[in-house]
Amino acid sequence: MNRLKQLFGKFGMVFLLLFFISACMDDNPPIPLGEFEKGVLIMNEGAFGANDGEVFHYDPSSGEIKANIFESKNGRPFAGLLQDMVAAEGRLYLVANTGKVEIVDPRDFASMGAVSSGLDISRSIVAANEKLYISDWGPYDANFNSPDSYIAVVESLNGGEISQKIPVSSRPEGMFMVGNQLLVACTAGQKLDVISLNTDEKTKSLEVAGRPTGFFEAEGRLYLFARDGENVFFHEINKSSVEVIGTVTVNLPLSTSNFALMGNGEMLIITSTGWPDYNDAIARVSLSNGQVLNASVFTGSGLYGIGFHKDRGEIYVTDNNGFQGNGTVIILNKEGQQQKTFVAGRGPSGFKFN
Amino acid sequence: MVWLFYLVLGFNSLDSQAAFSEKAVSRFLASSVLLDEQAIGDTVGLEVVEVFSPSLDKYTYGQQVKTINQEDLRDFQGLGLSELLQQRTGLFLRQYGPGMLASLAIRGTSAGHNAVFWNGLPINSPSLGQTDFSILPVGAFDEVQLHFGSGGALYGTDAIGGAVHLNSKLKFGRGHSLQTDSNFGSFGRWNQELQYTFSNDKISLRTRAYRNIAENDFPFRNLSRPGTPLERQEHAAFQQEGFSQDLAFQIKPNQLISSSFWYNQTERQIQPVMGSNTQDLQEDRNLRWVLDYFNFKENKTWNFKTGLVKDQLNFNASENSTSQFFLIGDLDWSISPVISSKSGIRYTHVQGRLSSYAAEENRIELYQNTNLHLREDLNVSINLRQFIYDGTFAPFTPSLGAEWKIFSQSKNELKLQVNGARSFKIPTLNDRFWEPGGNRDLLPESSWSAELGFSHLFRMENLQVNQQLTHYRMWVDNWIIWLPRGNFWSPENIREVHNKGLEYTLDAIYKMGSWGLEIQGNYNWVRAINQTNTSENDRSIGMQLPYTPIHKFQSLLGVSRGLFQSYINYHFTGSRFVTTDNISQLPDYALWDWGLRMGEWELGAIQGRLGFQINNVFNTSYEVLRLRAMPGRNYQLNIQIRL
Repeated sequence: MNRLKQLFGKFGMVFLLLFFISACMDDNPPIPLGEFEKGVLIMNEGAFGANDGEVFHYDPSSGEIKANIFESKNGRPFAGLLQDMVAAEGRLYLVANTGKVEIVDPRDFASMGAVSSGLDISRSIVAANEKLYISDWGPYDANFNSPDSYIAVVESLNGGEISQKIPVSSRPEGMFMVGNQLLVACTAGQKLDVISLNTDEKTKSLEVAGRPTGFFEAEGRLYLFARDGENVFFHEINKSSVEVIGTVTVNLPLSTSNFALMGNGEMLIITSTGWPDYNDAIARVSLSNGQVLNASVFTGSGLYGIGFHKDRGEIYVTDNNGFQGNGTVIILNKEGQQQKTFVAGRGPSGFKFN
Repeated sequence: MVWLFYLVLGFNSLDSQAAFSEKAVSRFLASSVLLDEQAIGDTVGLEVVEVFSPSLDKYTYGQQVKTINQEDLRDFQGLGLSELLQQRTGLFLRQYGPGMLASLAIRGTSAGHNAVFWNGLPINSPSLGQTDFSILPVGAFDEVQLHFGSGGALYGTDAIGGAVHLNSKLKFGRGHSLQTDSNFGSFGRWNQELQYTFSNDKISLRTRAYRNIAENDFPFRNLSRPGTPLERQEHAAFQQEGFSQDLAFQIKPNQLISSSFWYNQTERQIQPVMGSNTQDLQEDRNLRWVLDYFNFKENKTWNFKTGLVKDQLNFNASENSTSQFFLIGDLDWSISPVISSKSGIRYTHVQGRLSSYAAEENRIELYQNTNLHLREDLNVSINLRQFIYDGTFAPFTPSLGAEWKIFSQSKNELKLQVNGARSFKIPTLNDRFWEPGGNRDLLPESSWSAELGFSHLFRMENLQVNQQLTHYRMWVDNWIIWLPRGNFWSPENIREVHNKGLEYTLDAIYKMGSWGLEIQGNYNWVRAINQTNTSENDRSIGMQLPYTPIHKFQSLLGVSRGLFQSYINYHFTGSRFVTTDNISQLPDYALWDWGLRMGEWELGAIQGRLGFQINNVFNTSYEVLRLRAMPGRNYQLNIQIRL
């Protein structure tokens, strides 16, 4: 009997241990992806003065489109011009250039918080050290210049009040975190500003060719995207020294700052001739040597946002339809042949592929 | 249901009905005769006679011209004309907040498709091509007339959907008078006007000064914040000051000079759209001056007019100013009992000093208006106009209208009105010269319209009912739209729109002993259908224009006894599409107002009127334009005192 008890006890212990382990494992089953964690999120900027920016969701496999997913989930409009959409720390940050950041759960778009006061013309966001860093042009001066640009610091990942504004060069746009440093592309200032995340102070400001708008990584290297009327510049940045160590110059007149990486060492850039012809196009360029491989992969008028779906090998481009009504998403194959179009929100301007 | 009952019963102001039923010559001659009598009888003492001004509705057979009630004007003392038109007519204004930009859309057209006149001078901004109705304070003019439908041949550019006339009305023979009008309201509203008038049988003078302020810190539900908290509106304060001087001088029995000067200045914090933190400031300074010389012959009236309209708009630090100088001459002539005619020429010199460009141009207009009194019951208006700007010929604009009294009995009168007209709008200075984007190759927008209306008058000893039903169709082409082109926006003659609609108005007054019942109502059904896509992927074709409600209904029911009148006002605005593709829309809304008026009372030498009004009685939350907060329930107290 005692032996039985001992045996039971030993086996019991093992059983209990196994049970415990399995129970623990049961507590963490593979979490099914949320409704909006797969598929394509379409960022719709909205029209100036109307604050009707929104996010749409598109399922490429079923073709299903869900409109206004922020308002549908939260029962209130986004009420802003949607400038950027950044996923970080299990949250999705929706940055409005009308001075607001909405923070949602990326699974279902339920609101988790906001930064709704103290911002002016917010452009992008980075989450670092349990803080939020928001690039902001600051208020316009009398001549619509932006001399008081800043990076706003918020002490919680779920938003709230701004604790500090770090002055930076004029019109900060995209940002990138390297180690404990924050790189800021300042478009009007034509500077690459560097902020120490230890002290939340600007430590460096590098002059660069062209007007820089954002950063991207390709083949393990970090680049700063900049352009002027004639050229696009890929400034390669050394991540440890934070210095520009080389520049690839692409002779691509009339480029815009809308680009998408194809993942094969090539990039798609929207160009626009402007007045009087208003012919827009998608150019394909090589990252390594800056050669324009094809100046018009696709042409149209009102081309506004661009993305590349790497898994499906498809180009997603948007037509803003003159902001008169809702815009259109056009799906192309790699060669630029139109596969499909569908209606998005007002001024569709970018994509997030999950 | 109650309102349906009113609608069926039939509704519009009796004043207005009188204005458009008593047309033309009879009215015109009556004014002249009065003047002559006045001139002859200047020893008879002070006889109150209205100073002559040309009748605006003389050559408008086949169309409707409505005059706003004096009571309505008093209720809205010091408030923007936009508030009055929105609450008390069937017209819809795109309003960006209380006291904020408000543009009028008549018959499904756009903001710049209506001409606005002050004492006969066109005051639409030549750079913007439109008028902000929120900064035209009620109380700065004596009469408001609305001309519904195409008026290019009568008024020149912009009058595609209709025209609005703001007039000063002076009187001879009233002696000295001092009047103060106050309007105290919720959210820091205080409108104050002071006017002094003097007139004898030869001279009439009036000086007015006013100040209208509002904090506009009304509570609203902020939809842009988590939890949609109830907040007070910030950065929407309004301050307005103005001064006007009117003068009329009877030089000789057959000669009259009249002149008006008006300076109006408005400083506004621009109410941000929900979700934005903009801190924009706008200052508008408007100076208007007109001088008229009239020479009355037996059957002719010569009118020489000159004037100046200067507008300055400062948005933040951006300064934009325009000036218009006018020289106008016309001859109104009763050629025979059958034919009356008005021939004229208008010269305008326009200067623009805008933040991004400077421009000047000369405009010449030749016009001919003719009335044919073919039969006692049949009158016809034929109007022609050619407008030339900067050497370019705008579309030649003819109009043909007729009014036929189908039958007229002691109790009933039924009239049929028909009109066909062409109108146009020349591209604004901004459309042509704005840097960057201005397009010098733009053509004028042009329209054709046709309308058919019935007006019915029913009168008994103690009941009078006026009804008017109009159906119109309009074809507008070369409609100018600004589109994003590369890095900037640029205007193009891209849109074609077909409009059609119904306008129904009713006015009824019933008297029973010391009791009186008044009903007025307006219903507008508007379809404004876009016929063009701006690009291959555009989906606007076949769709209703944005912010153009298909339905608008307004009605006022008043009960009076002795000095007192109580009324309920209701207006319903149907849903409005937000974009050209009609994908999203704003919900309809209905607002109720209640008011109490105390008519003319006397206390020794002091006379006065009192009014109390509750707007938006049920505190309904609504938006005229998306995410533009509007006030809930609010109160107003009007006091008028005269010495």
